[in-house]
Amino acid sequence: LIVNSSPPKLTSEDMIAAFSQAVDWAGCTIRAFAWHPHTSKFAVALLDDSIRVYNSNSATIPSLKHRLQRNVAAMAWKPLCASILAVACQSCVLVWHLDPTSLSTRPSSGCAQVLSYPGHSPVTSLAWAPSGEVLLSASPVNTAMLVWDVSTENCVQLQWFGGGGVTYLAWSPDGSKVLAAAPSAVFRVWEAQMWTCERWPTIKGRCQTGCWSPDGSRLLFTVLGASVIYSLSFSEYRGEMQGQVGGSKTASIVADLSETTFETLYGEERIGGEIHSMVWDPTGERLAVIIRGKKEVLQTVIAVFRTRNSPVFELLPCGFLRGECGAQPQLIAFHPCFKKGALLTVCWSTGKISHIPFFFMSAHVPCTSSSPSPVIASTSVCE
Amino acid sequence: AASTPSTRCAGSRSPLNITPLYALSGLLLTDSVVFSVTSCVTVVLLQCSEQYFFLILDSFNDLYTSYVIFCILLMSVVILVISIFNVEFYAVVPSIPCSRLALIGKIIHPQQVIHSVAHAVMGMLVAWCAAVMTKGKFQFLAVPCTPSESLDDAVPQMCLNEHHLFFLLSGAFMGYSYSLLYLINNMNYLPFPVIQQYKYLRFRRSLPLLVKHTCVESLYFVRNFCVTYYFFGYIPKVWISTTMDLHIDSKLHPLDTLTGLLDLSLFYHAWLCGVFLLITWYIVFLCFALYNTTSDPTFAEETDQCLPKILNSNPPLIIKFLALQDLMLLSQYSPVRRQEVFSLSQPGGHPHNWTAISRECLSLLSDLTQRLIAQQEAAAANGRANDVSSLTYQAESEKISLRSNIAPRASMSSLVKSSLMPLKTSPGSDVGSPFSSPALSCKMGILDVNSPWHGSVQSSQVTRRGPKLWTSGSGRDSSTALEAVQPRVIYTWLQNKQQQNALISSQHPEASIQAVFSDAQMHIWALEGLSHLVAASFTEDQFGVVQTTLPAILNTLLTLQEVVDRHFKLPHVSSKPPRISGSLVDTSYKTLRFALRASLKTALYRITTVFGEHLNAVQVSTEHKKRLQQFLEYKE
Repeated sequence: LIVNSSPPKLTSEDMIAAFSQAVDWAGCTIRAFAWHPHTSKFAVALLDDSIRVYNSNSATIPSLKHRLQRNVAAMAWKPLCASILAVACQSCVLVWHLDPTSLSTRPSSGCAQVLSYPGHSPVTSLAWAPSGEVLLSASPVNTAMLVWDVSTENCVQLQWFGGGGVTYLAWSPDGSKVLAAAPSAVFRVWEAQMWTCERWPTIKGRCQTGCWSPDGSRLLFTVLGASVIYSLSFSEYRGEMQGQVGGSKTASIVADLSETTFETLYGEERIGGEIHSMVWDPTGERLAVIIRGKKEVLQTVIAVFRTRNSPVFELLPCGFLRGECGAQPQLIAFHPCFKKGALLTVCWSTGKISHIPFFFMSAHVPCTSSSPSPVIASTSVCE
Repeated sequence: AASTPSTRCAGSRSPLNITPLYALSGLLLTDSVVFSVTSCVTVVLLQCSEQYFFLILDSFNDLYTSYVIFCILLMSVVILVISIFNVEFYAVVPSIPCSRLALIGKIIHPQQVIHSVAHAVMGMLVAWCAAVMTKGKFQFLAVPCTPSESLDDAVPQMCLNEHHLFFLLSGAFMGYSYSLLYLINNMNYLPFPVIQQYKYLRFRRSLPLLVKHTCVESLYFVRNFCVTYYFFGYIPKVWISTTMDLHIDSKLHPLDTLTGLLDLSLFYHAWLCGVFLLITWYIVFLCFALYNTTSDPTFAEETDQCLPKILNSNPPLIIKFLALQDLMLLSQYSPVRRQEVFSLSQPGGHPHNWTAISRECLSLLSDLTQRLIAQQEAAAANGRANDVSSLTYQAESEKISLRSNIAPRASMSSLVKSSLMPLKTSPGSDVGSPFSSPALSCKMGILDVNSPWHGSVQSSQVTRRGPKLWTSGSGRDSSTALEAVQPRVIYTWLQNKQQQNALISSQHPEASIQAVFSDAQMHIWALEGLSHLVAASFTEDQFGVVQTTLPAILNTLLTLQEVVDRHFKLPHVSSKPPRISGSLVDTSYKTLRFALRASLKTALYRITTVFGEHLNAVQVSTEHKKRLQQFLEYKE
């Protein structure tokens, strides 16, 4: 018989640090990152609780500050909009309504809308519906996932029993399903039409991270402490199956990233470990994974895979990304509409942000935005 | 594949389903009544069992069993009557009284009087059931008097049981209060939910809030009733005892005294009765609201109406609402039904479905545009009228210039500006107003001070609530501007006259703004449905039916967006009413205009994101072309 002693109480910062997609949320300069879904604009949340918005078309770098904006865990730009940014803060969700043509470097606090709900703090994850209508917010201490109608500030609480709050949210790009990971060894997949859910108990631990294929038919996820990538497939959304999530019976392992030794030109390299975060590019052709090495022995690297979802799912190793000496990858994100292939943005622990392009011809065109390609820069890819 | 054309709907293979009103009402009524009765019977039995668990032993008592059955029947009748009232009074568009006169008119309207009287009677019946079932000292109206010491009265007399009377009157009072709150909070308005959920799940999720809300509300009702009974309790007491020839027991404490009313057990029983009454009525209301506003994914097979026809005819408002909600859902989730919309008729090859749907949606939106323009012109004219009156005054005065008066917005002078701008109102000020958030509703929820939304939504231009420029009752405000002016006798007379007129027919600004946008839910769905269909047509439209209507659609949307943006520059429009969280009563109608503006922008972005540069080939006016370019560059 194993007697469970009650776990020690975590402070909000500990909770955010434990559940954040950033590798070292508490100590690193960059805490959160978000690309705008349609233009070459991104927002970076910094250690001093400010947010900077960088735009490739403009030299102005607005800096957003608000008295309620503390311990930013995540950010998300509203889809189908010019510049509305939702920020997950310590006690609330802030929604910034920025003027896209403004040249001001300090937008006033009056531009921020405060969405708060009693007991819903800290907020660790946000997800906008791809159609831009509702915003989901999640907190590990609140068992209810909130569905916000931002313009009227109304929210609906989707509650369930058991399993604790929600730590991580991921909405499938086609808008049909939402992954909601809990602090306990279970995660839920909600279908976004009638808001019913399927419960998936994991064996080993909580769901650490997950990402969807562009058509919403496949979910790749990892479990805390494990080095494998699991895949869960869903029946293709036809719109006639209301109220059913349509998940398959079991998940299968598609990749094992435990420690291995590689022979390289510079000698033997040991790479592998736990997976911290994972992103899939909008064309569905590249998957990037942050692998945390064990303590100081192994470095934290980014592994890139070549993937394909139809007619069969395929996952092939492509290469590894490593930064300069002493720089650990902190956050990764793919550009939402890079027309020449895929663009991976990496935020390093040194405070540098680099963009790594992958040029290929893809069957999928992620979006028909008219913005020019963003600036390409920096570190090399080593195979 | 050409199947036999349906006789129901010309030009489409399978009709888009909407059940006709009478079937809908019947279905809803039966469903909600059955559900309510079941839940109420459960509640009744629970109450009995929790109070007297030896009721099970007593159930063998024939008399008591018949009482219980009779009470249950009576409760079912009450619930049926309440449900009928819900059906008769519901509305999908709230009626917002724009002035004090209108609100008073609403309260004394015969319909409302019938509603209140009926609810008071129902309340009394429910209280009677509860009194009978709790037994003890509440059970009968007439009880034998306490025997006196003297041997003169051989025949025991019947006395009035004041506790029973108290119970009945408290029931009536609660019924009446419920009816009054129903009116004030626009509970007849059925709001449509933010997200779709199954009816049972929605019901289950609302239950905890409902229980908490009724417990608190019952407490307030009992307290108010105790105060009323203290002052006026002797009237019914005397009336009943004279009509029914009952004596008032002099041995017992009369209840309409302070000592009488401080009886805790009485208070507890009255409160419990109130909770029981309110829970049953609110469950009935909740069931009715849920059934009416949740669209069932499995539509009935039997139908003799289809979507394009409904939209083009003039059906009852709720059917139109449900039809537009259905359009919104099919445009997002149903590729098969979208194909129906984009299909051509056989054999003519006309896109009847698309034409009907797009024409109806566009006419709805143009209608809203016209309404907004009319209101803007009225507001501008109002300002000009004030200008005229101040011009006539200027002839009398020698010192001040026109600028110190209430000037129209367009020609506001620096003097007026500087005196008006710094005026800020705290978020609490709106709570006091009897229109947008009546005092009673504050008790029902917690005023959310964490999100004091007294700023605008627009980026850096924060507009705080300035003083009312157009409306009256602004004697206060104009006086600050006029401090620089030396008042003259004629001027003060003019001012008083204005204030008098104003007080009677004053237009409350927030209420009149809400009134213009009261049916905006329809427009929001029309926008979403239309934009999703247009976006989907990029890949799914095989015959190009949508392309020919693109210029009209874009023109309508861009014009509406322009008008809405201009409307939001009027005073008060861009400030949000305070949000009350944790309330059972839905006040989403107060913020519909923000939802409309947001979904209008999203609709335009949806179309421009999907079509991209191809939109440059669409024929629109140069003005609109420039705005479209802004949308394409995500600069809007």
